[in-house]
Amino acid sequence: MATLNINGRNMSVEAAGDTPLLWVIREQLQMTGTKFGCGAGLCGACTVHVNGEAVRSCQTSVSDAAGKKITTIEGLSAKGEHPLQKAWIAEQVPQCGYCQSGQIMQAASLLAKNSNPSKEEVVAHMDGNLCRCMTYSRIQKAIMRAAADMRTASNAGDRRPT
Amino acid sequence: MNTHVKITKSEAADLSRRSFLVGSAAAGLALGYSAVPGLFGSDEALAATAKNFDPSVWYAIGPDGLVTVTVGKADMGQHVASTMAQLISEELGSNWKDMRIQLASNDPKFNDPVLGAQITGGSWSTMMNFDAMSRAGAAGRIALMEAAAGMMGVPAGELTVRDSLITHVKSKKSKSFAEIVKSGKITKTFTPDDLKAIKLKTPDQYTKVGVSVPQLDIPDKTRGAAKYGIDVMLPGMVYGKVVTPPVRYGATVKSVDDSAAKKVPGFIKAVVLDDKTKTTTGWVVAVAKTYTEAQKAADALKITYDGGPNAKLSSQSLFDEAKRLQGLSDSGEFFVKDGDPAAALGSAAKVIEAEYTTNINIHCPMEPMNATAEFTGDILHIYTGNQFATRTGAIAAGAAGIDPKHVVMHQMYLGGGFGRRLDADMTVPAVQAAKAVGKPVKVIYSRENDMTMDFSRPLTYQKVKAGLDGDGKLVALSHDVVSAWPTQRWGIPDFLSPSVDKKGPLDAFTVNGADFFYTVPNHYVRAIKNEMAHEATPSGQLRSVAPGWTFWAVESMIDEIAHAAGKDPAQFRIELLDGKGKNDGGAQRLRNTLLAAMGLAGYGSLKLPKGEGIGVACVSSQERKTASWTACAAHVAVAPSGEVTVKKLTVATDVGTQVNPDGIRAQVEGAALWGLSLALYEKATLKDGGIEQTNFDTYTPLRMSQLPEVTVNVISNGEPATGVGEPAVTVIAPAIGNAVFNAVGARVRGLPITAEAVKAAMKA
Ligand code: FES
Ligand code: FES
Repeated sequence: MATLNINGRNMSVEAAGDTPLLWVIREQLQMTGTKFGCGAGLCGACTVHVNGEAVRSCQTSVSDAAGKKITTIEGLSAKGEHPLQKAWIAEQVPQCGYCQSGQIMQAASLLAKNSNPSKEEVVAHMDGNLCRCMTYSRIQKAIMRAAADMRTASNAGDRRPT
Repeated sequence: MNTHVKITKSEAADLSRRSFLVGSAAAGLALGYSAVPGLFGSDEALAATAKNFDPSVWYAIGPDGLVTVTVGKADMGQHVASTMAQLISEELGSNWKDMRIQLASNDPKFNDPVLGAQITGGSWSTMMNFDAMSRAGAAGRIALMEAAAGMMGVPAGELTVRDSLITHVKSKKSKSFAEIVKSGKITKTFTPDDLKAIKLKTPDQYTKVGVSVPQLDIPDKTRGAAKYGIDVMLPGMVYGKVVTPPVRYGATVKSVDDSAAKKVPGFIKAVVLDDKTKTTTGWVVAVAKTYTEAQKAADALKITYDGGPNAKLSSQSLFDEAKRLQGLSDSGEFFVKDGDPAAALGSAAKVIEAEYTTNINIHCPMEPMNATAEFTGDILHIYTGNQFATRTGAIAAGAAGIDPKHVVMHQMYLGGGFGRRLDADMTVPAVQAAKAVGKPVKVIYSRENDMTMDFSRPLTYQKVKAGLDGDGKLVALSHDVVSAWPTQRWGIPDFLSPSVDKKGPLDAFTVNGADFFYTVPNHYVRAIKNEMAHEATPSGQLRSVAPGWTFWAVESMIDEIAHAAGKDPAQFRIELLDGKGKNDGGAQRLRNTLLAAMGLAGYGSLKLPKGEGIGVACVSSQERKTASWTACAAHVAVAPSGEVTVKKLTVATDVGTQVNPDGIRAQVEGAALWGLSLALYEKATLKDGGIEQTNFDTYTPLRMSQLPEVTVNVISNGEPATGVGEPAVTVIAPAIGNAVFNAVGARVRGLPITAEAVKAAMKA
């Protein structure tokens, strides 16, 4: 029995400590937005945030994740309106869509630290996330669009009268 | 094919003999083709046994005005459901915001109107459903207008429809679809003749077709909310992990020792498959309460195998066998036989010949294969994302030992298809495990299972011989294609084609594309089945299928011939695309795409540094009768080490009519990058009867850092819509190969193109 803090809620799960976080999220908590792709840290489909860092949930055990702040695609924003999610729709990124939760979570960890990434920084950050439908160029565009939107929003925030 | 697989032949698909009904139902207005009792068997049985079965409805309009379209197609990233909704919406006159989609089960009533089955492949969907969907939409509009006319007391002829609103301009009255559906009792039958008589919109009247409306499936896919096969959850469900043998096909299980597995908490049972459909051989499923426990139990099973007849084979054995077969004069069957190639080659001024090869390629969609099976009463429910529901239902039934009419397949989103999910293997372990443990079972392949048990793109060997006359004109071409026969494996005679020499049916899905649109007076194409490869590496349809290898050979060879004749390869193609005889129409369209790609890429005009080159190719994938027209100019840089960097791919494609331009660009770009990935980065090998590559560390599709600049240029000339999901796959490899030759004079004839091969060819 372990307690996981997922998307701001504490949830107790029953699983051996070495169970990959991925399967606990998907099966016990029935949050299926996080995907299984390779089980070996090679594709990024299972990406979630642990304490704000993008990690592969297939390579993270339940006992390692316990007590930390876990965010899945379902918790990235309350209504699915994270700037990246909006940009993903604006650029019509997903094809089959299977890799996209992982892509968005991976990208979100970049933009959280760097709202003005260069193309090279985007590629370096995203290269571990496979997309078999090859939506890479749209992913890049959507990340740039979201970054621009976030910068505009935060500038507007700065100028807001006190 | 053995007797355990029964494909229900369905006449239900013949919509030309069925009426279209529009009728008020409890939940709104239902629109669909009538189910004529007695015309097809399984429909009745299913209707009788499964009360919750979808009615025979193509779309429905709710009292809230929402229009839900039910689509009998596999949605695997091509947004086909959205495209079908777009066609209906165009003629119906609905607001795009009101459109919704849902995926159909395997009921024959959702069969493709042309193919007579539920199958998604061949880039066929849009092409073949355009008319039926348009008429269904128009019939709905007519029924709504008549009802509105009655409600407003005005003649139907004076009404206009737009954005789900029917307006009488003169009296300024209007009724929304929602209001009409809520208040009305609508019953209208369109006979087949009525339907045919409906005047559809002309392209100048389109408001949705040709517009990049947002795809209806995308928002859910940004929130993790789209449900794929792997996401299915049923009450009481347990999990299965397959253990697959070291040999791809032909192994049998000798013994299973589950004593260690029994110590794994949650372990329920190890089930040795008894697969009479012969889809799998030597598989065992470890069933447990959770997937992780099933994995642990699977790892703990001690299984011994008899490797079977293929246990010693390697890629090299398959190539050797292919060469042997090609050398025999009586091998194979003729797919094309024009003129007298043997005589023409004999009298040619110059003969050149070359061998082209491709290695085994693996689909590996991001969602590993999976299926969930549940028996309720007499009915077997299968939940999975599948491209060929009709056959998959039959395989599942075969695995269960029941009649296919008792199988209901619940279609889910596909986390990638690419042809992999035309196959049904994933249903076999799910069905037999569910039967063995008396519970619903979800079987999920590990990536290792998925890669080593793929129905792969077969290894191919092709030999091409060309004869030139004294003026350097191509007068004869002979082309032998040796491969496993992926489509013959289905055991459905309708998918085979007669050979021109009447030697028996051949698998045209191994030679399509070789019947090109170039004018060559003496031309033969021979389809030769590599029985050894067929048995050892059961092959499947991988995005674009045969044109993925035939055009590799044809388009490389055309370049080789042009260089031998001292002509510019692009110019040489333009001359061969003269549109004479049977090539009229197609050749001109293909020529235009080639010219477009050349111009856009700066072919011949751009000054390139040393070590760089632009190469062209043009293809009429997929089948000749469903051709679409695509050309590519590839710009590459080749390092002294032989390493190839693709700088830019300029693709031009003639798609006839565009339904969703943005969707088309996404498909064409994805296809082109698949072509690049297959050309440079993907290679699987057989050793000791097994596929050596097991995960994305050894089988390595294109990643973001390998992305070149890609420009997709769409020609839309008002011809009927063609498929776009596949053709661009096939044009890339030869364009790159030709570019490498233009850059450094190295001719590579095997895929994938590796630095070593380029380097070796540079020296030669
Ligand atoms: S499933 Fe975790 S990286 Fe692929
Ligand atoms: S959208 Fe299909 S794998 Fe990325």
